[in-house]
Amino acid sequence: MSTTTTIRPTDLRSLRDAVLDTAGTIGIAGAGTAADWAGPLAPVDAVLDTTGLTGVITHNPGDMTVSVRSGTPLRQLQDELAPHGQHVSFDAARIADGATVGGLVATADAGPAALVFGSLRDLVIGVTIVLADGTVARSGGHVIKNVAGYDLTKLLHGSHGTLGVLAEVVLRLHPVPERAATLAIHCSLEEAAEHAATVLGGPYEPAAMEWTSDGVLLIRLEGTADALDARVQRLRTALGTGELLDLQAHSDQGADRDRTEQGLPENLGTGPEPGDVPPAERAAPPSDERPVRRIGTDESAVRRDEPWERYASLVRGAPEFATLRIGVRPSLLPAVLADLPTESVTAGLGTGVATVALPPAAVAAAHARVHAAGGTSVLRSRPAGAEVPAWGPPPSAIAVLRAVKAELDPQGRFGPGRFDPWM
Amino acid sequence: MSVDSGLGSRVKRAFETALAPEDVIGDPIRCRSYECDGLTGYRVVPELVLLPRDAAQVAAAVRVCAEHGVPFVARGAGTGLSGGALPVAGGVVISLARLKRVLEVDPVDRRAVVEPGVTNLEITAAAAPHGLYYAPDPSSQQVCTIGGNVAENSGGAHCLKYGFTTNHVLSCEVVLPDGSLVTLGSDTGEQAGPDLRGVFLGSEGTLGITTKITVRLLRTPESVRTLLADFPSIAAAGDVVSDIVAAGIVPAAVEMMDTLAIEAAEEAVHAGYTVGVPAALVVELDGPAEECDVQFEQVKQICDRHGCTRLHIAGSPEERAAIWRGRKAAFAAVGRISPDYFVQDGVVPRTRLAEVLDRIAGMGAEAGLRVANVFHAGDGNLHPLVLYSAAAGETERAEKLSGEIAELCVELGGSLSGEHGIGADKACSMPKMFSRDDLEVMRRVRSAWDPQGLCNPGKVLPTPRLCGERPGRYRPHPLEEAGVIERL
Repeated sequence: MSTTTTIRPTDLRSLRDAVLDTAGTIGIAGAGTAADWAGPLAPVDAVLDTTGLTGVITHNPGDMTVSVRSGTPLRQLQDELAPHGQHVSFDAARIADGATVGGLVATADAGPAALVFGSLRDLVIGVTIVLADGTVARSGGHVIKNVAGYDLTKLLHGSHGTLGVLAEVVLRLHPVPERAATLAIHCSLEEAAEHAATVLGGPYEPAAMEWTSDGVLLIRLEGTADALDARVQRLRTALGTGELLDLQAHSDQGADRDRTEQGLPENLGTGPEPGDVPPAERAAPPSDERPVRRIGTDESAVRRDEPWERYASLVRGAPEFATLRIGVRPSLLPAVLADLPTESVTAGLGTGVATVALPPAAVAAAHARVHAAGGTSVLRSRPAGAEVPAWGPPPSAIAVLRAVKAELDPQGRFGPGRFDPWM
Repeated sequence: MSVDSGLGSRVKRAFETALAPEDVIGDPIRCRSYECDGLTGYRVVPELVLLPRDAAQVAAAVRVCAEHGVPFVARGAGTGLSGGALPVAGGVVISLARLKRVLEVDPVDRRAVVEPGVTNLEITAAAAPHGLYYAPDPSSQQVCTIGGNVAENSGGAHCLKYGFTTNHVLSCEVVLPDGSLVTLGSDTGEQAGPDLRGVFLGSEGTLGITTKITVRLLRTPESVRTLLADFPSIAAAGDVVSDIVAAGIVPAAVEMMDTLAIEAAEEAVHAGYTVGVPAALVVELDGPAEECDVQFEQVKQICDRHGCTRLHIAGSPEERAAIWRGRKAAFAAVGRISPDYFVQDGVVPRTRLAEVLDRIAGMGAEAGLRVANVFHAGDGNLHPLVLYSAAAGETERAEKLSGEIAELCVELGGSLSGEHGIGADKACSMPKMFSRDDLEVMRRVRSAWDPQGLCNPGKVLPTPRLCGERPGRYRPHPLEEAGVIERL
C-alpha cells in the first residue's frame, strides 16, 4: 500500500498540476463535513485538499451572479454577499460546520429552502472542472439563461468526487428577504401532513416547511417587511394554531448603502424596531440561519433561531446511528417513515425529502423500503467502523453512469469506493 | 425508381415490424413535410419518417436504428428555431406527435405525468382545475411540446422568477441510443448519484428520446399584477430593470420591446401599445396579494423616477391578456413589416443590455438591415429579429449579421443561446464560447450516452471538418472554394 500524500492547491493551475503530477488514485476533500457520506473512500494514493481554493472571483451584484473558488466555505460567501442584500438561497445544515461550495455541490446537499429554490443544482449556473487526465473544462457562465452545450454542472452535482474536481463555481443569487417569520406547531407527523396540505393548498407560499421528530412542524414565511405580518396572521388563522417564532429582522447596512447609492429611497419599508430584540440576543447570526435584512435602520439585531438550529442538528445525525437521506413523493413520506425504525426524523412535507437516523443494521431494509416506494436514498453518515450499505438498488440508467465514468475517468482515479457497488 | 427508402427495403421492413407498416412513411413527398423545423433555411429530406404510438414503439424503432447504424432525429411539433430537429441525410425522423396523452395530474403531490407530444399549454390546462399550473412558458407554448421543451431546456417570460424546464422536470423516461428504456431523475428533487436528468435536459435530442415526463406543478399565484410602461429611451427602460433588481424584487416577468417590435405587434394585434415610443416594458409581479401590492407600488415609483411617459396598469384579466398578446405576438407580427426575418437568441449579463442593444443597432446600420428587439430583459435573454428580404438578395447578409449578434453576446460575457438551443444553426459558433477542451469534454459525455453517434448527429457540437459547411442544399465549403479540400 502506498503512502497517501495530501496536496493543497491554491489556484486552478496548481490544481491541474496536482492532478497531472500525481499518479494513482485521488480522494477529493474539502472541509471534511461530508467525508463519511456515500460509500467509504477506498485507500487512495493522494488526497486533493480543496480548502486552499478560496475566494470570490467575480461578484456582479446587478446581474445577481457570483463566481467562487470551490473550496470557499459557503458561510464565508454568504457573509461577503450580505452587504449587497444578496445571498445564495440555500441552507443545508452543514454550512454552519464550514462546508465548502464545491463539497455542497458534489454531495447534492440541500436544506429546507429547497422547497422554493431547489438544491444547488438549481442555483449553480456554471462550473470549471478538472478531469483525471488534467483536462480543464468549463460549462455555463454568468447568465442565468444559458442553453449552449451540455450542462456539466449537473453531472458533477451528486458525483461525490468521482467524475472530476470542481475548481470554480458560478452561482445564481437572490435578494435576501426583508423579513422572515416561522410558525411552529406542536403535532404528530400525521397531523403535520394535514397542516402541510392546507398550507400548500392555499396562497401562503411558504419558504420552508419541515417537521421534526421532536413533534414540531416549522413553517417559514419570507417577504417584505410591510406584508409579512398580514400573511403570517392569515396562515395562522387558516391553520387555527401555531406559535409565532422569530418575527424578527435585522438591519443590513450594506443593503441600505447599496440602495442609497442607486438612488433608491432609504425607507422602503418598516419592520419591528430594534428595541424589539433583547440586546443580549443581538449577536452575529449563527451561520446556518438564513439572515433577513431590514431596510431603513442603522442597528443590527438578530435573534438566534433555535427551532431551526435544532432542526439542523437532527439533520446532522448522531454518532451512534447511521444517517440516511431519502426522497419519495411527498404524499408517501409519512407512510414510508412510519415503516422505518427511526431514532430521529426531519421531514420536508412539501419536498418529500427526509433525513433519518437509524440503527446501522436497519439501513439495508430502509433502502429497500424507499426504493419500493419509487424513491431515492443515500447514506450520509455511519458510526465509525460500521459497515453500512451506502446505496440502494442501482438506478435503471446505471449503464450510462458507468459509461460517463469510463469516459471522464477511464482509470478510475477519482473517489474509488464512493459508489460501491454501483461502479 | 423504387419508392423504398435508400436505407434498403430490409431496414424499412424492420421499422415496419417495430411499428406498423402504415406508421412508417417512405414516400419522399410526404417525408418532405419533415425536412425542416422552425428554422426553414436548412432543409434535409429524411429517408423515412416513423410515427410510433407509444414508448415501446419508440424503443423498438431506436433499436432498429442501433442495429443497422441508422442516424435518427426525434421531432415534436417542429417549432424549434435552431434546426435542432433538422433531419440527417440518410437517416430517419422519429415523430413523437402521437405520444400526446396527459397520463396523470396529481394535485396532492403537485405534479403531472405527460407524454412528450403534449403541448406546454396543455399541461397547464390539465392542471388548472386543481388551481395548479406548469411554470416554464415559452412564447410558443400553445404549439410547442414538452418533449421539445425538455430537449431545449426552454424558458419563457416567467422563468426569471420560476426557473427553466430543468428546474421543473422531476424525471424523464428516456429511450437511450441503444434502444434501452430508462428513467432519469426521481419523484423528488433528491437524487442518488450524478444528475443524469440534468445532463439530458437541454441536450437537444442528442442523448436519447424522452417518452414520458414528470413535471412539477405550482400553485396558481393568488395575485398577479401587470403593467405596461413606455420610456423615452432603451437606456431608461434598462435602468428601471436594474432598479427593480436592486430593490430586492424578483418580478415574475420583465419584458422589453423596442420601437420596431412595438410597431409590428400593435399593427398585428392592437394590444394597446404606444406606437412610436423608443421602449416599452412589461412588468409582472405575482404571489400573495399583500406581497404583490407592496412591491407593485415600488415598481410604479421606479418607473416614474425614470421618466416613464405612459403607465398602463392592467385592470382586468382581459387587459392583462391583451398586454401579453402584444408581447407574444411580436415575433410573428414582424412578418408584417418585413418579408423575412431571422430570430436570434443570445444572452448577455443583464447589466450589459444597453451596451449590447447599442452595438446591435450599429451593426444593423452597417449591414443596412433593420433589427427589431423584443426580449426577456430580466434575465438578459435577447431576441433580436434581423429583418431582410430574400427576394432582394439580403439573405446571406442577414444570416451573417444574426450570427455576429450571437457571438457579440458571448464577447460581452453571455451565451450563444438562452432557450432556442444551438442545434444545426450555431454549432459552428460554439468555439467562440467554449475552448477546444470544453467541447472535447462535452463530446466525451455525448459518447458515453451515444457511442455509435446515431442520435441527432451534427447538432450542438461543431464537427471540425464540416464547420462552415451548411447542412441542407449544397454550397461549396470555403476551403473547397479555396482549393484546399475536395469533396469526395
